Amino acid sequence: MDNKCYMDIKEIKNPTSKVEQLSHVLHCFNNNIFEVVYDKSQPALVKYIESLDKKIFKQDGMQFLYFTSGTTGLPTGVFKTKENSLTQAKALLKTLEGMKFNRVVTTVPFVHIYGVDIGAVVPQLLDIDIWTKENFLPQELASEAEKEGTLVVTTPVFIKALNRIKKDANFSKSYFLTSTAPVSKEDGKIFHELYNTSVSQLFASTETGLMGHKKDDEDILEAYEGVSIGEKYKMLRVSSPFVTKKILNNGVIEDVKPPFQTEDIVEILNEKEFKLLGRSSNLAKIAGKRISTQQIEGIIEAMDGIDCVLIKIRKDDRALKDEILDIYVESKVGLDAKVLRKVLKENFGSMNIAFKIFNNVSITRSSVGKKIGFKEL
Amino acid sequence: MITTNDLKEKIIAGLGLEDIGVDEIDDDMALFGDDGLGLDSVDAIEITLIVEKEFNVKIKDMGEAENIFSTPTTLVTYINEQLEQDTK
Repeated sequence: MDNKCYMDIKEIKNPTSKVEQLSHVLHCFNNNIFEVVYDKSQPALVKYIESLDKKIFKQDGMQFLYFTSGTTGLPTGVFKTKENSLTQAKALLKTLEGMKFNRVVTTVPFVHIYGVDIGAVVPQLLDIDIWTKENFLPQELASEAEKEGTLVVTTPVFIKALNRIKKDANFSKSYFLTSTAPVSKEDGKIFHELYNTSVSQLFASTETGLMGHKKDDEDILEAYEGVSIGEKYKMLRVSSPFVTKKILNNGVIEDVKPPFQTEDIVEILNEKEFKLLGRSSNLAKIAGKRISTQQIEGIIEAMDGIDCVLIKIRKDDRALKDEILDIYVESKVGLDAKVLRKVLKENFGSMNIAFKIFNNVSITRSSVGKKIGFKEL
Repeated sequence: MITTNDLKEKIIAGLGLEDIGVDEIDDDMALFGDDGLGLDSVDAIEITLIVEKEFNVKIKDMGEAENIFSTPTTLVTYINEQLEQDTK
């Protein structure tokens, strides 16, 4: 990062590095070229995309197709227009009014909506340089954040890591944005006090785009301009110009009618403010990646000798990967951790998922067959 | 002098790799990638924090880290070199 090395925005057929991904998505964005944006390091996702009818990829007026883990096991494809991204970027910048930035430093890859829309489109709109590198150490990010006018686009992992190194640094002339995985109240407070700056936590999903934001240790999320919020069965519903109008579900294109129903459990305080109370429990967020626990349950249950599996998500605020999967297994043979690690790697690629296995349990079910708990044998 | 077993114990504890024993990680096993221990980029950041906290050695540059993080042996060699320099 000490040496400037500019890369042109250009078409790159099979981008592999972060810089190549950035160059290519901006080329597509600037020239209105449709592209499928996904993480090629996830074997199951690659296999799924390769299995799709190629006609699906030709949808009028669409800019990007992203993929998110589906609650039913298969990834959900989410089509986004250029307008989705541009109106969203303007709404985000409205919340940063009065701040002056001369560059964006981004630690995230450009293989999902957060990296592309916030890490690439926002700086394009500001007409400022994007600085990135393949991997960052917390110390390296700290050095970059000390430079005046830096907007840092990162994840909660780095906020926690910066808190842990307690570097003698001052970021008062910079500002941080983090993705949806929550920065705990304590981490937000420590970060603000240690480094004399703030971190704005963007509450968003691939389907909805940005929904709300909060700063440091605040509890209340404020909806972005243009975002209407509501709830059904205590779960957030949103309408906004950033929400997708088309998704790909089980290989079939479906129109999305507003409002979009999320799985986030909320308390609506007024028409612009809400509190996030939790989310429907079958989605874990590990190191910023959303993983369906149902998908993992299905993968394990397909293994020889395994009868039934229930996964619960456990929080560990001390770890960078703050969500750990507790895996309860009903079987005659028991589930071996090394075998599971291998199977998860085959399905999720380079992501190392934190888990703990509990064998010798009996899974209890509700009257309609839903897995609801377990009993130790 | 830090040994590879000292490092492995700290990595296992720090990353919560409860299913893996010290003797199951070869000194020359790749820490990252499909052929080795299979750690990922977040684990890499965690290991830099573990090394700093447990051995008081700072890894300053990720370019440098890519080489020293190859295996337990390369990482321990780096830690010991840094500790030796600090005592000079």
